[in-house]
Amino acid sequence: MTDIILNKIGKTYPNGFHAIPSIDLTIKEGEFIVLVGPSGCGKSTLLRMVAGLESISQGDMMIKGQRVNEKEPADRDIAMVFQNYALYPHMTVYANMAYGLKNRGESKNVIDDKVNNVANMLGLEALLQRKPGQLSGGQRQRVAMGRAMVRDPKVFLFDEPLSNLDAKLRVQMRIEIRQLQRKLGTTTLYVTHDQVEAMTLADRLVVLSKGKAEQIGTPMELYSKPATPFVAAFIGSPSMNLLPAELNDQGIKLSEQLTLPFEHDFRGKLVWGIRPEHLEVSDENDADFAMRIQAVESLGVETLIHGVLEQSDGASTPLVVRLSGPHTPEINSLMWLTVPEHHWHIFNAETEQRLSES
Amino acid sequence: MSVYFPHKKLPYLLLLPQLVITFIFFLWPAEQAFEQAFYQEDPFGLSRTFIGLDNFISLFSDPIYYESMLVTLVFSFSVAFLGLSIALWLAVMADRVIHGKLAYQTMLIWPYAVAPVLAGVLWWILFDPSMGPVALWLKYLGVNWDHYLNGDQAMILVVISATWKQISYNFLFFLAGLQAVPRSLIEAASIDGATPFKRFWTIVFPLLSPTTFFLLVVNLVYAFFDTFGVIDATTQGGPGVSTATMVYKVFSDGFIGLDLGGSAAQSVVLMFLVGIMTVIQFRYIERKVEY
Repeated sequence: MTDIILNKIGKTYPNGFHAIPSIDLTIKEGEFIVLVGPSGCGKSTLLRMVAGLESISQGDMMIKGQRVNEKEPADRDIAMVFQNYALYPHMTVYANMAYGLKNRGESKNVIDDKVNNVANMLGLEALLQRKPGQLSGGQRQRVAMGRAMVRDPKVFLFDEPLSNLDAKLRVQMRIEIRQLQRKLGTTTLYVTHDQVEAMTLADRLVVLSKGKAEQIGTPMELYSKPATPFVAAFIGSPSMNLLPAELNDQGIKLSEQLTLPFEHDFRGKLVWGIRPEHLEVSDENDADFAMRIQAVESLGVETLIHGVLEQSDGASTPLVVRLSGPHTPEINSLMWLTVPEHHWHIFNAETEQRLSES
Repeated sequence: MSVYFPHKKLPYLLLLPQLVITFIFFLWPAEQAFEQAFYQEDPFGLSRTFIGLDNFISLFSDPIYYESMLVTLVFSFSVAFLGLSIALWLAVMADRVIHGKLAYQTMLIWPYAVAPVLAGVLWWILFDPSMGPVALWLKYLGVNWDHYLNGDQAMILVVISATWKQISYNFLFFLAGLQAVPRSLIEAASIDGATPFKRFWTIVFPLLSPTTFFLLVVNLVYAFFDTFGVIDATTQGGPGVSTATMVYKVFSDGFIGLDLGGSAAQSVVLMFLVGIMTVIQFRYIERKVEY
């Protein structure tokens, strides 16, 4: 069952700036959708348009079959968690959570039940009489979520809710948010610039760039079949190696000396990509090419090796290789690599679209 | 780490002008007034007799002095209340204006630059029973305006004049306070289903409370001690003593009534009041309002 439909939604600011040209998105009930992209890509604007905090310039926004373009935020039955939590600083945790229910005219008993219920779920019982100023960042984050949950809305909206937390807490809250959302089954729209957060949380991801949806799909679809070089580079850390190339009768020509055999009807410029984890170390004899090692980052569980593609003409194309476990190759030595064809990502350089399978 | 200055005299030299001004215009007259409060002096200042606390005794047994206290309270709280509410309303409106914001804000701040006496004269002309446009207009409405005869009307006039000047000051602080309220709080409240009216009273106004409290004290001090010019230019404390605040009475008893000792005793009482106000100000204003 569909829950939210964005039909050719667009946003134009009064100064004529097209923040979002046109986006189509259909969200199923209970789905966890993550809007991800670099800063300034329009992801927060889109979320605020769903919330009703930002007007919609064109298109239709439907929530549960109702057009909500002109509806006030309060009438859309949504709840939002803000980046800075936006807790009311002069109210206790209890009053913060009860505020929305009070505005809806719920009775005192109902409010009490609901607030206590949610407080139990989030482990906030002991904090109900405190003010936000007396809470830690993680606790505030929890209260902000509690305030959203207590109203039992149709849709949760999260605007980079974890970006103010330290790394450890962020991982913990990420898991918690995912579990809570599963348990409550509430449709959720979540904005982040962090691709790890996006990948781990989402049922489906929307990768945005300059107000356009580059690709919409499950995390694994985006990882294994990115639709554009932008998505390819954005998803995965460290990002995919993307090399300018050309397709001719011999195959993919990466440089004057280096052509990887490949057959396809397409002829012309393209972008050839391979993820750092898909480059394989090999013997000199079987290798597709060599990399001159420049820097090694050892993380214990994995090792990132930065270098340049070794070419006789001196052109340097940077490459990253990711190997599991510890490795200690020498700087400036050569590393021989093979590139299995099923891991290649090939994009038309002009249209910036993934080349269809031949 | 503290910075150490080798010069011993330079700091005192730099402070000297301010110290001299403080001494000549504040401490010396205060001491004079304090001394004078215990003497009875002839109108020409040629002779004086020590009379102990007689000036104070006659002051506190004078019903007119209590009336003056009442006038001061009514005047001060009216000015503070009106000044704060009108300024807050204007600030809320100006905060919502999108086009020409700066023009509105500048014009609203202007009256603060007008000298108190000029403000008084301005309103005095506007309300003059025989030629003032506002008084004429009131007459058309059936209100017989004559603040020379009607004590209540005189009070309204001085309250208006004094408030008008103070609104700009309050406006400035309220506007800054409003702009410091995070937008996301308002947005969160609107998602939480609060109407604009409710948002203001449950979110914005409580968050403004430190500003409001500060302004309340400042406005009371202003109305108590700093409105002599306004009153002198509009009503001269009259009719009768209906607009003679305690500060105005010091002037009229001393320089018009030539009761220098009695006037000095009144200023000692006022000094005492200022002292209390200052303590309140330091105690509560500096206190961090916690929310």
